[in-house]
Parts: sequence; structure tokens; C-alpha cells
Amino acid sequence: MRQAGAYSGLLCGGVSGRTGPHSLPLARIKKIMKNSGEGVKMISGEAPIIFSKACDLFIEELTRRSWIMAIQGKRRTLHKEDLASAVIATDIFDFLITLVSNSDSHAVGGATNVMEVETIDYS
Amino acid sequence: MAGVREQDQYMPIANVIRIMRRILPAHAKISDDAKETIQECVSEYISFITAEANERCQREQRKTVTAEDVLWAMEKLGFDNYAHPLSLYLHRYRKTEGEPASARRASASASPSMQMHPRTHPHSHPPNYSHHGFGMFDFDPSSQGFYRDDASSSGSGGFVASFDPYANIKRDPL
Repeated sequence: MRQAGAYSGLLCGGVSGRTGPHSLPLARIKKIMKNSGEGVKMISGEAPIIFSKACDLFIEELTRRSWIMAIQGKRRTLHKEDLASAVIATDIFDFLITLVSNSDSHAVGGATNVMEVETIDYS
Repeated sequence: MAGVREQDQYMPIANVIRIMRRILPAHAKISDDAKETIQECVSEYISFITAEANERCQREQRKTVTAEDVLWAMEKLGFDNYAHPLSLYLHRYRKTEGEPASARRASASASPSMQMHPRTHPHSHPPNYSHHGFGMFDFDPSSQGFYRDDASSSGSGGFVASFDPYANIKRDPL
């Protein structure tokens, strides 16, 4: 199901407009890539294009998992706490824990039902 | 806080929200802090993958981070589910844009030719027609023999009008 969704997204070819078929601006992606470390020297023209689609998938997955957290809390508004809970509950998002933790530095850490989330299969 | 955030280090919030809306139900709301947080997450994601891709480049003594390096880094860092659809995306992109790298970059920034995707939609014949045509083709020799017999006997015109297979034979060349 997850794969099918991603594939049908590919067929749609993205959102047209100022960024053309890419829903995220390529120049901005390239700038962020350049700033990811001193070692990044040259970037192929295709790499930002791949990231444009990859970020679509990333935002969709993070949003979906965060929304699960929101509805578990019986809320209809997505908060940063939901994003933090989704990040904590998902292995591949480990690299974001520091980022969302800093964002939540003033929030009281609530208990998260990690077991329940982990049983959901998104593959 | 708003002043500290450099907007060119993040994806535009409108684009990010549009993508989020594709996933969320119509009644869902997104708080401002969630919008900011996910912007930061996207930039962190790009940096995370790019750093891994760049390490590979340096190990192999190459200077340019390529799309393949990005895909490789995603698989290595656990985003296997993304790598496969992105490979398909890249292959189709290359077919659409053609070979020259400079033209590729030019097209990437202008992006008009990517709108050619509708052309790739295949148009297939109606199944009834193709199925009937297949059957018709099988019966063709005997049908012609039978027709000749009738023609030699009598009343060929009227008989032909009422005989469906013969009418289909007529249509086939067209």
C-alpha cells in the first residue's frame, strides 16, 4: 500500500506552478545540501530533483505518523508534540530526536504509547 | 525567534503545508509550532542524507554528489521504502530530459518539459473489439470458403448483409 501510494504520486508528476513539476524549489534544496557540511563540493543537477521527491515522501510519512499521535490524544490539531512523539516512535527518524527535543525543551514530556504505534505496518 | 530563522535554510512553509494536506483529513488543523518543526525536520533530513552521500563521494575520491549517491545514502540510513520509487522517478526523469547534463540542469530549473508526462499514457483498444478480432482471425479461412460456396449458389447480397462475421472481416483492414 505504501509503495503503491508513492508510485501513484510519481505518475501524477508533482505539483505544477513556479517550481514546475517539483513541489519543492530545487535551488533551496541545493543550498541546504551545500550547507550540510564543509566537505560538500559539487552537486549533480539530478540530486536536488531526487530530494524534491524524497522530501515529499518524508513529509507525508512524518505527517501521517504525527496525525496518529494527535488522534490518539483525541485532538484535531497537529502540534509539535505530535511530531516529537512520532519521531521518538520511529527508528528511521532517530536523527531528528535532538531537533524535536530542543523544540520541546519547555514542554512537559508526556507518556507515549510506543507499543501501539510500533505495531502499525506502513511497509 | 522569527528573526533568527533564516528562511533560505528551510523549505517554503506553503509547499510543506500543501504536502501535509494531502495526507491529513479535511478537518485537521496544523499548529504554527508544528509547521515550524516540520520545516526544520525537512532541512535536517536533507542535511543528514547529503552528509552520508558526501562521505561516500570522498571515500571514492569523487567531487560531485550524484543522484545515485543520494539513493545509496537513503538505503544505508534506513529509508529503503523511498529508494525504490525514487529510482523509478529518476529513470523516468532521465528518459524525459535526455542525456546532456547541461540540458538536464537547464530543464530542471525551467521544468516545462517535465509536463510531457501525459504523453506517456498508453491508449489500448477496447477489449471487446480485440477479443472479437482475434476470434474473427481464427475463423477467417473457413468463413471465406463458406462465403464462396454461398456466393456460387445464390442470393449472396442478402446473405452477406445478415452474416455478422463477414461484416467484421470488412472492418478489420480499416
